[in-house]
Amino acid sequence: MITAIIYLVKITITRGRINDFKNQLLEEADYFELLELRKVILRTQQNNQEVPVANLLDSNLKIYIVLKMCFFLLASVSNYLDFRPDQKRRMAMRVPKAPGFASMMKEGAKYMHGLDEAVYRNINACKELCETTSSSFGPNGLNKMVINHIEKLFVTNDAASILREIDVVHPAAKILMLASEMQEKEVGDGTNYVILFASKLLENAEDLLRMGLSQSEIIDGYLLAMSKALEILPKLELDVGIKLTKDNLNEHDALISKILQTAISSKLFGYHEFLGELVTRACLVVSNDGTHSFNVDNVRVCKILGGGLLQSSMVSGMVLKREIDSEVTKVQQAKIAVYSCPIDIQVTETKGTVLLKSADELLSFSKDEETGIESQIKAIHDSGINVIVSGGKIGKLFLYYIYLVLVHFTFSILGEMALHFLNKYQIMAVRLMSKFDLRRVAKTIDAVVLPKLRTPTHEEIGYCDNIYLDEIGDTSIVVFKHQKSTISTIILRGSTEQILDDCERALDDAVNNFKALTKEQALLPGGGAAEIELAQQLTTYAQTCPGIEQYAIKRYAETFDCIPKILAENSGCKSTEILAKLYVGHQDNKNLGFLIGSNQAITKERTTQPIDITCETSDMKLNALYDLYITKKWALLFATKAACTVLSVDEIICAKPAGGPKPKENKGWDNDD
Amino acid sequence: MSAITTLNPKAESARQAQALAINISAARGLAEILKTNLGPKGTMKMLVSGAGDIKITKDGNTLLHEMQVQHPTASLIARAATAQDDITGDGTTSIVLLIGELLKQADLYISEGLHPRIVAEGFELAKKESLNVLDKLKIPLKLNPIDRELLLQMARTSLRTKLSRENADLLTDIIVDAVLTLHEDGKPVDLNMIEIMDMMHRTEADSRLVRGIVMDHGGRHPSMPKALKNAYILTCNVSLEYEKPEVNAGFFYKNVEERESLVTSERKFIEDRVQKIIDLKKKVCGDDKTKHFVVINQKGIDPFSLDALAKEGILGLRRAKRRNMERLTLACGGEAMNSLDNLTKDCLGYAEDVYEHVLGEEKFTFVEGCKNPKSVTILLKGSTKYIINQLKDALRDGLRAVVNAIEDVCVIPGAGSFEIAAHQALTQYKEKVKGRARLGVQAFADALLIIPKAVAQNAGHDQQETIVKLQHEYANSKIPVGVDITSGEAMDPKSMGIYDNYRVKKQLIHSSTSIATNLILVDEILRAGLSSLRPGGQ
Repeated sequence: MITAIIYLVKITITRGRINDFKNQLLEEADYFELLELRKVILRTQQNNQEVPVANLLDSNLKIYIVLKMCFFLLASVSNYLDFRPDQKRRMAMRVPKAPGFASMMKEGAKYMHGLDEAVYRNINACKELCETTSSSFGPNGLNKMVINHIEKLFVTNDAASILREIDVVHPAAKILMLASEMQEKEVGDGTNYVILFASKLLENAEDLLRMGLSQSEIIDGYLLAMSKALEILPKLELDVGIKLTKDNLNEHDALISKILQTAISSKLFGYHEFLGELVTRACLVVSNDGTHSFNVDNVRVCKILGGGLLQSSMVSGMVLKREIDSEVTKVQQAKIAVYSCPIDIQVTETKGTVLLKSADELLSFSKDEETGIESQIKAIHDSGINVIVSGGKIGKLFLYYIYLVLVHFTFSILGEMALHFLNKYQIMAVRLMSKFDLRRVAKTIDAVVLPKLRTPTHEEIGYCDNIYLDEIGDTSIVVFKHQKSTISTIILRGSTEQILDDCERALDDAVNNFKALTKEQALLPGGGAAEIELAQQLTTYAQTCPGIEQYAIKRYAETFDCIPKILAENSGCKSTEILAKLYVGHQDNKNLGFLIGSNQAITKERTTQPIDITCETSDMKLNALYDLYITKKWALLFATKAACTVLSVDEIICAKPAGGPKPKENKGWDNDD
Repeated sequence: MSAITTLNPKAESARQAQALAINISAARGLAEILKTNLGPKGTMKMLVSGAGDIKITKDGNTLLHEMQVQHPTASLIARAATAQDDITGDGTTSIVLLIGELLKQADLYISEGLHPRIVAEGFELAKKESLNVLDKLKIPLKLNPIDRELLLQMARTSLRTKLSRENADLLTDIIVDAVLTLHEDGKPVDLNMIEIMDMMHRTEADSRLVRGIVMDHGGRHPSMPKALKNAYILTCNVSLEYEKPEVNAGFFYKNVEERESLVTSERKFIEDRVQKIIDLKKKVCGDDKTKHFVVINQKGIDPFSLDALAKEGILGLRRAKRRNMERLTLACGGEAMNSLDNLTKDCLGYAEDVYEHVLGEEKFTFVEGCKNPKSVTILLKGSTKYIINQLKDALRDGLRAVVNAIEDVCVIPGAGSFEIAAHQALTQYKEKVKGRARLGVQAFADALLIIPKAVAQNAGHDQQETIVKLQHEYANSKIPVGVDITSGEAMDPKSMGIYDNYRVKKQLIHSSTSIATNLILVDEILRAGLSSLRPGGQ
């Protein structure tokens, strides 16, 4: 109603070219109450006079004139005014009443524009996201307890998982999240780094905006700074005395273990040395397979509840959490045939029916079938095979014959009869449940998966040094141990599922780091040393830039401070003091960083001794704390791009959120009662 | 009371001055929203869909589609813009701006008592005159040999208004090369033959033109080769898997031998087909280890057939997209076979490089290095979905711009120079027009200036100042001048390499005039009252 009036007044004004009163009049109109106005209009209509309206508002003569015109108009068009505004709201397209863009959109849509509505809000949302994740950054970062929409509990300090599970909805925050997801895909580590860096960039951009810089100037400056930073970054490479290349990774396991420890220590500080060595061994087994690409999927993790982290171990080959159904639990020097089809009598795709006319025919049919099977199995056995792995069902009759001669792996449930023969002939049997496991087993033992039941050729047969049943805690496992395996498995022990999950994520990061190493071997000093150096060099660079972008470059340089700063804050140190020390120290030593170290690592022998954790500035090269160049490079790239995208948006148009089931609200889950 | 309410009490209506006001305010409101998008310095808008997906764009067409406009007048304009996009592929933002501005200018005169009909008359006259101006500004495009430089500049102009500078420059070469690969004298360029494939991988800078085809699936057999050099390619649409007959069939057998033979014969049909392919492979490749063979099938290939192919070292791709079958034969040569009966070497295509690229769960197969390809793929890479979408939208417009230029055999100078020239010409033409219609011509001339104005304003310059400078410069030099976005001064678009499509401008003038004319001639908006099905009318 009020908007309609304002609208009419606006028309009057534009028609009458009395622009001066526009704002004044609008202000006055805001004081209107609907009822009051209605009364006034009715009275005016009846009496055809304007004086009381003018008295109601202001005695200012000019306004009075405008209002007079306004109500003249009102009187003529009042027929079109809808006094019941709520009644027809739900209809699709209606004759519009109010002006402005808002009325053009579907109901429920939101439109935000300008610095205050869009840009600052976006920046704030990103800041909040950063506050959530910043406390879990670094070795002394804290864990978060996240309960996702299906009520699963996560205890972790891995930013990627936290973000994935908390379901970010805000569009700007989502952009940062996408950037960190991309980092996860590209490198597999440094997700928190992306979020922190991007949101700190935005925070600094806010200051610049308030200073009066335009968004595009900041973006230009940031992009300039980024390309400069990427130019400086390779020059900071750490010379560790050994030139790592793609091909000599195997010879420098001690160094690699040190590199991977950085990733693990940021998740599981204290266990990093132990786990680092484990992962290094596992990765080197896999990378030995002769091909140049390293597949992260080939390092398997088998989580077994119970025991302690220090009881974890590494197996070259596959470990499956299965039980063994028979008495025999061990086969050495196994020769294996792998089938993806069911091991059964061959049937036609089209429905087949056996047409028997007499009892003799029935008898000979069964007999024929049995001899057929026996000859098939015998042929397989004659080629030296003593294990069959199958991805399908195995027929009972086949079982009988297979068990006579072969060790057998299958999906299907083993019949009672079959087990009887099994034990009688002293043969081991295990069931495999997933076709992916089947494929991995085939890869471990280097066999070809056959689609049809036939005798495999020499090349198609797989070999395995040792297949045996083992028991860890109360979990039975089947181990395929093979010296020349291209798959390795880390058996992880831990007291709760959450710990195991968190360890798995840490290992995952480490394995991804190894993958990154196979692509690019350059190392940077860790602990914020590279960042401080970048900050210093960029500041110098900013001073050489003539234009207004130098402010943005300077801020970009300052943003690097946040990394050592957050590291220090999370360790309970005075961050400003540390920063100052670092800056001074960097005059002489560009590898100076913030070190969180312990004098003694936790090992099997020293689990009970207190650990002495020190936090201080120190030379990263001496302490062997390395970061990967490739991780930093992509992190900077993604973070800067994301920040610039958020900055470049000055208008947001949101459609009404689509319906669908909302995640169950769980009010009061934390209540005491 | 409006008459309609007597006839139908639930109807809604708006009459005369109010109807006009509604139309004008809608057109101007929409123009106001899109105004900040125009030109290389325009800002981005973030669109959040109902499902929470993010889109960041400044492409007018995308915006109008996704904004869910509900206002009747606004959606009318949005449809005009969509039509503009369908016909020319560009100029959507301009059309919305121009309609808004035409109505704004018309409103000035109408409010002073000029009848809308007369304004419309003036618009019509002005439209004809400005089309004359447009024809005079044409810059011919050399076709033989084709003027690649001009096309590059054309594509760059179009892309820079939609993407950041780096991304635009990157795509410029890709687009022009793609179109020129397809271009043959005297034949229209079929843009469907340019496949756009996106990969969420690395950054935008890794996007490239693949002279061949990229398919988003890979071999389904673990022991099939992953990379082949020097490969023959068989494209076919033949089922290599057992298909149940349509009639209800069944087998009867009474002993094991019979069953065995049925099992074999059931498979035989398919095995024969596979054997034919293998025979052909042996024939063309012989014992030469450097030659390889690839089968790309539109239908399925079952595990047994895959196994047989893998054994021979043949890469088999199943369930290829139908549109790719046509493209494949155009790219690598050969024929798409619907039967395997008369296979000869001539049916085969050839590619130097066939390889598989795995990204997480997704597989891509590249068929590259074809001889004289007539179908190419533009491979877009980007770190996130919204970046890829942005590139895709811009790419489509860029391709259209280049093809338009080739089909028009001319381009016109850009950066608002046409509008300045037309304004000048119309102001002179006005003097020749008798009667009140000249006011309409004047309104039209003034409205045209919105384009250079918006470009200047978005770049952070004072619009009036820029316009005055440009007009002055044009009056003195008589060569078309445009806005220099870095300085806000006048410049020669030809020397800067800024060109617009002829047909875009032509369409723009045509449709914006007719829409604006229609809108100002509206004197009543009616809406039949739809009775609500629910009781209580809610």
